[in-house]
Amino acid sequence: MKFGKTVKNTAAAALILLGSSSVTTAGDARDYINIVGSSTVYPFSTVVAEQFGKTSSFKTPKIESTGTGGGFKLFCAGVGVNHPDISNASRRIKKSECEACTENGVNEILEVKIGYDGIVLANSKKAPVLKATRKELFLALAKEIPDPSGGEKLIANPYNTWKQINPALPDTKIEVLGPPPTSGTRDAFVELVMEHGAESFPWIKALKKSDEKKFKSVAHPVREDGAYIEAGENDNLIVQKLEANPNALGIFGFSFLDQNSDKIQGSEIEGKIPTFEAIADGSYSVSRPLYFYVKKAHLDKIPGIREYLEEFSSEKAWGPEGYLSDKGLIPMPDPERKQFQEDVKTVKSLDPGQLK
Amino acid sequence: MNKSSVKTIDIVQKGLKRRYRVERRFRRLGLAAIAASLIFLMLLFVSILGNGYSAIWQTHMRLDVYFDPQVFKDVVVSSADYGRLVKGALRSVFPDVSGRGELRKLSAMVSSGAAFQLREMVMEDRGLIGRQSTLWVPADDDVDMFFKGRLGPESGRLTEDQLSWIDHLKERKMIRKQFNRAFFTAGDSREPELSGIRGALYGSFFTLLITLAISFPLGVGTAVYLQEFAPRNRWTDLIEVNINNLAAVPSIVFGLLGLALFLNVFGVPRSAPLAGGLVLTLMTLPTIVIAGRAALQAVPPSIREAALGVGASRMQTVLHHVLPLALPGMLTGTIIGMARALGESAPLLMIGMVAFIVDIPHGFQDPSTVLPVQIYLWADSPERAFVERTSAATMVLLAFLVIMNGLAVWLRRKFERRW
Amino acid sequence: MITPGIIMIALLLMATTGYYLGVRRSVAAAGGRRLIRNLHSRPTYYGLLTALWCGLPAVTVFSLWQFFDTQVVAHLVISQLPAEIENLEPSHISLLLNDIRNVIARQGSLERIDPALQAAAEHYLHLQRISNTALFVTIMALSMSALVVVRSRINKGLRARNHVEGIVKGLLAVCSTIAVFTTIGIVISVLYESLRFFQAVPVTEFLFGLKWSPQMAIRSDQVGSSGAFGAVPVFAGTLLISGIAMCVSVPIGLMAAIYLSEYAGKTFRAIAKPLMEILAGVPTVVYGFFAALVVAPVIRSLGVTLGLDVASESALAAGLVMGIMIIPFVSSLSDDMINAVPQSLRDGAYSLGATRSETVKHVLLPAALPGIVGGVLLAVSRAIGETMIVVMAAGLTANLTLNPFKTVTTVTVQIVTLLVGDQEFDSPKTLAAFALGLLLFVVTLVLNVIALYVVRRYREQYE
Repeated sequence: MKFGKTVKNTAAAALILLGSSSVTTAGDARDYINIVGSSTVYPFSTVVAEQFGKTSSFKTPKIESTGTGGGFKLFCAGVGVNHPDISNASRRIKKSECEACTENGVNEILEVKIGYDGIVLANSKKAPVLKATRKELFLALAKEIPDPSGGEKLIANPYNTWKQINPALPDTKIEVLGPPPTSGTRDAFVELVMEHGAESFPWIKALKKSDEKKFKSVAHPVREDGAYIEAGENDNLIVQKLEANPNALGIFGFSFLDQNSDKIQGSEIEGKIPTFEAIADGSYSVSRPLYFYVKKAHLDKIPGIREYLEEFSSEKAWGPEGYLSDKGLIPMPDPERKQFQEDVKTVKSLDPGQLK
Repeated sequence: MNKSSVKTIDIVQKGLKRRYRVERRFRRLGLAAIAASLIFLMLLFVSILGNGYSAIWQTHMRLDVYFDPQVFKDVVVSSADYGRLVKGALRSVFPDVSGRGELRKLSAMVSSGAAFQLREMVMEDRGLIGRQSTLWVPADDDVDMFFKGRLGPESGRLTEDQLSWIDHLKERKMIRKQFNRAFFTAGDSREPELSGIRGALYGSFFTLLITLAISFPLGVGTAVYLQEFAPRNRWTDLIEVNINNLAAVPSIVFGLLGLALFLNVFGVPRSAPLAGGLVLTLMTLPTIVIAGRAALQAVPPSIREAALGVGASRMQTVLHHVLPLALPGMLTGTIIGMARALGESAPLLMIGMVAFIVDIPHGFQDPSTVLPVQIYLWADSPERAFVERTSAATMVLLAFLVIMNGLAVWLRRKFERRW
Repeated sequence: MITPGIIMIALLLMATTGYYLGVRRSVAAAGGRRLIRNLHSRPTYYGLLTALWCGLPAVTVFSLWQFFDTQVVAHLVISQLPAEIENLEPSHISLLLNDIRNVIARQGSLERIDPALQAAAEHYLHLQRISNTALFVTIMALSMSALVVVRSRINKGLRARNHVEGIVKGLLAVCSTIAVFTTIGIVISVLYESLRFFQAVPVTEFLFGLKWSPQMAIRSDQVGSSGAFGAVPVFAGTLLISGIAMCVSVPIGLMAAIYLSEYAGKTFRAIAKPLMEILAGVPTVVYGFFAALVVAPVIRSLGVTLGLDVASESALAAGLVMGIMIIPFVSSLSDDMINAVPQSLRDGAYSLGATRSETVKHVLLPAALPGIVGGVLLAVSRAIGETMIVVMAAGLTANLTLNPFKTVTTVTVQIVTLLVGDQEFDSPKTLAAFALGLLLFVVTLVLNVIALYVVRRYREQYE
């Protein structure tokens, strides 16, 4: 009988479904490490995680790319299986974030610096290499610049082509694809390039000492009139857009330049081409440290965290000859590496007093 | 005579030519519309195929590995330095390579997966230690790309030395393309040559299973109730507006809801197919309900009247006569909804399914990703070889969609009728 | 050991037994197979009634039990542990429980297990076993007694069909409320954050402001530009891109639907329709890449040869590709609607001497119009809500322009960029995403209410 069959089938399906779904909500144990955080550290921590998963008896950690700030938000939400164990960061944890952690019961945190990453300005190989100083980049990208005719006055950025800034630069439209303000890469770019560029004007530099807020409001804003194009977090797409448009420049991490060196080339900043060696020895100045943070409360409760830390801090991973350097991570100098290796072994807690 | 000259038939005939012209034009327009959409489809498929077909093969190298007992001295077999064995085997092929930099370049030509492969072999058979064995191991992604002709020698990714080594290997027939098994059997990986879509496929399967199991009965139930039983009042109006509106809510908002409700309130684990399936259920439900109602509406009232006329109850009328007639239409709607769920990635971003997950999920609670998210993740990876994998994964996803659509066609063909 | 799965299977068996017992009982009550006509309902209904009463209450108990069982067992295990553990914070207890469960699953590193933990694990298992057994007994007793009661009530006059239909109707009604709960969930989760946003930014500025530039400080120690939260340019961008998409998809989709339903032969239709539907199923990620890598450069170079200034992330590229994606939505739904127009209307038109195109234009389209409008509105909302294509192919810069060659941004893009990435959750910047979501929600609501009105007003019931 059709009616009976329909109802019976539906009832059976519903029963089974209800059964299975309620079975699954009965809390299961978590036996894998949960990592969140920066998209810049993501390529490195995934390599370590994979190596760790394939050469140990533990499960491979799960890694989410949430951005540095998003990572800290999840990380600091509390202690327990539902919260991540490790947060990757492309900058140091802020004091405010650390306080949020403490408020939610995340007291003891282990800080590990893993190496450095260069921030590069690059364009298509079809175009000549751009050679610029940080001052010129500031003048090209800042929302407001000091009046070129002199005086301590700010005017809206009048430059349309690079040549207008410096006759030695090419006569092409200023078109820079870069990360949105939500990105850690943008933070670093602003801090390392724009601030330095702004400081090349003595009166702005003086401002830094007298009124830091004011200084930042001069140095940080990036123009919004179309010369700087916020291109989202997908760095690969930026690379492809650069290839399609030889006049455009892009801002991203060194590892992307490294992987796409057949398509794009790094621009010279302050006379230095971004190469692995130049970033490692510090002569290419636009580079930043990368970190990850571990909850100590989870250390012995989630299987494998200690072993993962050991793998990450081993010479074969983050050493100068390690597999992370193949992926574009700039290793720390020997003493610094030793220091952090020691910290990992002794599980040294982060001192919130050091933060700003 | 005068009057008969303006007979209706003359007027008709006078306009006939023009009307036929319009008719032909209209018909051609319709055909052009279909042709245009099919051309778009072709263009899409050709660009994906062109990028992805080569992922069927993977370059492998032949290595004669000597399982040096020295390497296994004083360590557990599971944590021996297998990379050293690989390097040793490579060095025996190129004895004149020396210097640290050169040796590094040499060993960089073989995938790091080679060491995992050796480890597995030894773990299975300890007797290998001290013996010689010949095996094919995957080449590094750059070598693979070069060998497949996707990376020119001028790219700078491979050095002069490496190029000459590849030539040497080619001469000795120690390098070849073979079927890329890893792509179908492995989970995600940071090394393109080791990465596969199995994990994502399983994740998609579990996620869709939940979505289908919940949304189909719920959707059909809702559609039947609203269309056949619900009294016309404010409450049903509200439900109706709600459903239509939910169909228009951006998928990312469902992701936010999933985060707030399923993860934070019900404690469903992050990144699990269970959470993903529930979110996608809420998302596909309106699609199924709307399609279901349209299908029910298309069943002529005469059918209902006839059934009621011979004494069937309303429930019997609906379940015995109307629903079976509307079911093909409902299934079409469900398949469209499921296809949409299969391709959806934005709401999964909010519930942590955009993650690096190597292990293959085996249940509704294991962390997993889904196929479109895997595509998104690979598209975001810096390694060049991932472009090929991304397209190949897209091909697999599209193949599934074609199968699903094929099913829809079959269903429709079997049951379609015109009133 | 009794697992929840076994309990479910037992319950299913119970319900099946109930069904057959009910059927037999009703036949017996009627006085044998031949006298079934004496029953109020057919025997199946008596069987179903028994089965439903056997199953439904038990399932409810089962779900509730499963929901609370974990907490109760965990609590009992913790209370058995030494006092200092009991006084830990709840978060640490969850970690401890995780440890215990890992011990049970034998997946923790075995060398670190201390005896107390091992004992706790055993205790946990023991309790779980007791709980499952108790559940099994309860459920069996419940469904057994339901079986007995219902069976004893079965007689000739029992209105089993009405009862069963009532229950089924009730279940269907419950299904239909899910949509309302979903909406309430969305509104609550979005509204709360939006209200906080409107404390920082006035509603009028958000709704009527002509400048969108959320580049304000996202942390207390960071200084950005002055933030401007005028949603007008963002919505204008959304409408521009959606408009382009509709310009592509409505004519193509509608014409394709007309051709498929009125002109195409059976074979052609059977091949072309599913092929077109594949377009709807292609993942949006793929469209995004297609737009950014194939369409946008082509449009750009075309623009350059024509001497136009085309941005590399023009609204045109995103709109075109989105239009392609939406074609099958329009065509599929219009096709269904045109098919639903009764053949008699076509025959009537033909018999008056109308050509096919005239029949379509003057008879079929007006008849199917409300349905088609519904389909188009569905497509519009899909266009407004589409995320991946615009994230990849449209820009992030909010320009207030109608020029399709310029870069515009959309609501969804802004929601994504504001929520994913470096964020501090309480800044207006993050909250702005929720406000945008709310506005979007309201806009689509209004749109749909209008659509519903139109459909109702012009709907005609045929035959």
